[in-house]
Amino acid sequence: MSIDPDALATAFVQHYYSTFDTNRSALGNLYKDNSMLTFEGQKLQGAQNIVGKLTSLPFQQCQHGITTVDCQPSGPSGGMLVFVSGNLQLPGEQHALKFSQMFHLMPTPEGSFYVLNDIFRLNYA
Amino acid sequence: MDPDAVAKAFVEHYYSTFDTNRPGLGNLYQDSSMLTFEGLKVQGAQNIVAKLTTLPFQQCKHSVTTVDCQPSGTGGMVVFVSGNLQISGEQHALKFSQVANNFPYQL
Repeated sequence: MSIDPDALATAFVQHYYSTFDTNRSALGNLYKDNSMLTFEGQKLQGAQNIVGKLTSLPFQQCQHGITTVDCQPSGPSGGMLVFVSGNLQLPGEQHALKFSQMFHLMPTPEGSFYVLNDIFRLNYA
Repeated sequence: MDPDAVAKAFVEHYYSTFDTNRPGLGNLYQDSSMLTFEGLKVQGAQNIVAKLTTLPFQQCKHSVTTVDCQPSGTGGMVVFVSGNLQISGEQHALKFSQVANNFPYQL
């Protein structure tokens, strides 16, 4: 792969969370019918159901702050695992929540990536 | 087999091996395996086991809080774990998260 995987992962992460924080329904473009999200233990499949879940979370606004991004190629299919840790600030809350999230990105025929696997967990103290 | 049961069994095996027989972890990795440990990238079972067996503590105990898994395409499974790591002599446990992408063993 001629593109630096770390640069690709960082670009994806920045795109994902800025979309989440400013235009959550547009996240649908990053998932397909076979995409899976496990959100705090709840399992969902398919772009529609995933966006349905993310746009109905019990807050209007939020701000993700990214602390670490790690990535690795994920095997012969050209996919990439991305592992993120960071903070999630909700309006009105005094302290930010801490979270970890894992994405498994797969290449699309058009030359970009979509999210096949997505697992999100809050990290409680 | 139920994927969640497989993931749970893997996680229990991995951390009990880590906590009691760290060199035994080598059986779980191959030449193509990759570990990124606190940002440090290591490849291959030998190098991975060398890293894990030279961490600056003799004894540790992992306790797992959450295990999530999903099929990851081409027969693989991603497993996402969060938990605590108690290092002997330390007053407070460290908190950790770990992701593994597991593939069926090719005979």
